[in-house]
Amino acid sequence: MDFSLSSEQKALADSVARFARSELNHDVQSRDRDGRFPHDLWLKCGELGLLGLPVDASHGGSGLDALSTCIALEALGRGCRDSGLNFSICAHLLACVVPVWKHGSEQLKAKYLRQLCSGKLIAVNAMTEAHTGSDPFSMLSRAVPENGGFRINGTKTFSTNGPIADVAVFYAMTDRDKGYHGGVTSFLVDRHEHGFACGQKFAKMGLRTSPICELVFDDVWVPAANVIGHVGGGAGIFTESMEWERICLVACHLGVMQRLLEAAVGYARERRQGGQIIGKHQAVANRIANMKVRLEASRLLVYQAANKLGKKRSVGMDAAITKLFVSEALVETAQDALRTFGGYGFMEEYDVERAVRDAMGSVLYSGTSDLQRNIVASWLGL
Amino acid sequence: MDIRESIRSYILAEFLPGEDPANLEDTTPLIASGILDSLATMRLVGFIEEEFSVEIGPHETDPEYIGTIDSIERLVRSKLDGAR
Repeated sequence: MDFSLSSEQKALADSVARFARSELNHDVQSRDRDGRFPHDLWLKCGELGLLGLPVDASHGGSGLDALSTCIALEALGRGCRDSGLNFSICAHLLACVVPVWKHGSEQLKAKYLRQLCSGKLIAVNAMTEAHTGSDPFSMLSRAVPENGGFRINGTKTFSTNGPIADVAVFYAMTDRDKGYHGGVTSFLVDRHEHGFACGQKFAKMGLRTSPICELVFDDVWVPAANVIGHVGGGAGIFTESMEWERICLVACHLGVMQRLLEAAVGYARERRQGGQIIGKHQAVANRIANMKVRLEASRLLVYQAANKLGKKRSVGMDAAITKLFVSEALVETAQDALRTFGGYGFMEEYDVERAVRDAMGSVLYSGTSDLQRNIVASWLGL
Repeated sequence: MDIRESIRSYILAEFLPGEDPANLEDTTPLIASGILDSLATMRLVGFIEEEFSVEIGPHETDPEYIGTIDSIERLVRSKLDGAR
């Protein structure tokens, strides 16, 4: 398979990286320190089309295929040093915009999709519950038909974008007897509906500019028109959105790894110890070589999986392998960058310590590394 | 191989290794009995899509459609008939 970028894809990557470097990087350290979501920059990302990359142009999106979406997100990760902002963009785009775009009714898309793509509306994925984590079979949230719509109740946690969200993609049991497959429905819930509230906000180790909280849905009434797809079709929609997230979100990591590699090479060619640049010390050079190997292997996995996304329904194993490998590679690469920079890397004024903190979550969110291994094992018939 | 036998063989090979084939009947509840969990369901959907060149929608992964070998056969046949 040849994954050489077309001239259009090269131009896309260049324009996104250039935009990110020039527009998104001011004040990153203080934003991170304060845990401040940059709403003005979010809207700029919307103007550029980053919040609706794969959505067709008729609904306000950029109309890119999955591979080009990954190339754009890779460029974003390379150019933008605020990984929290990148994470919020991916959570909004991949776990919320994609399901509405692919499964929403024309009425639902007409009402929400253009504003989601522009960034005027911010979305949160409301799936995880405190006691169930990655086990959707045990979901406690419920939706009961009432007055031409549904009455929903439930509490979701670790909801990225929750404190700033205007709409939620909310999953609830509509038929307990059927269970997860056939018994779960996906809804788009408007923040203004009575009973929708933000609960506890969480402080995080990394990705601090991406706000996260608990969400409470207390007797919220949702019109039937806000069902995404069909009643009972939530499991398939969630699975598909996770495949998009596990493949495309880690495309952002490629850009981060590229940036960290370039920083490590630059530092190793400049910093001198024992009468020579530290890059001439084999221990340092080998560590940086490992960063390069991980990046190239990760890129191939992402591009290969993205190439299947949208063409082949069942990319569950590709998504799990990609998410597992690339997120672990990101953590190792961030730590290798830190070791290369030594004591300076530990200081806040260099970006490396933040990169390490930001990387750690990648082996946890969107399904932990352990869960991805379980998925791969299951596909192997184990 | 017909649709029913193809599905039965896949389920026996992938999800019930070592099981006596006689124990898997056309009406055996696949989800309610625990033969299919969430991951197994997605694998089975992938198999059906590739084997019969059909597309299974997100709402068609519930027991009504893939709950038994019988219902899967009806689902596949309806899609194949619809494509003609």
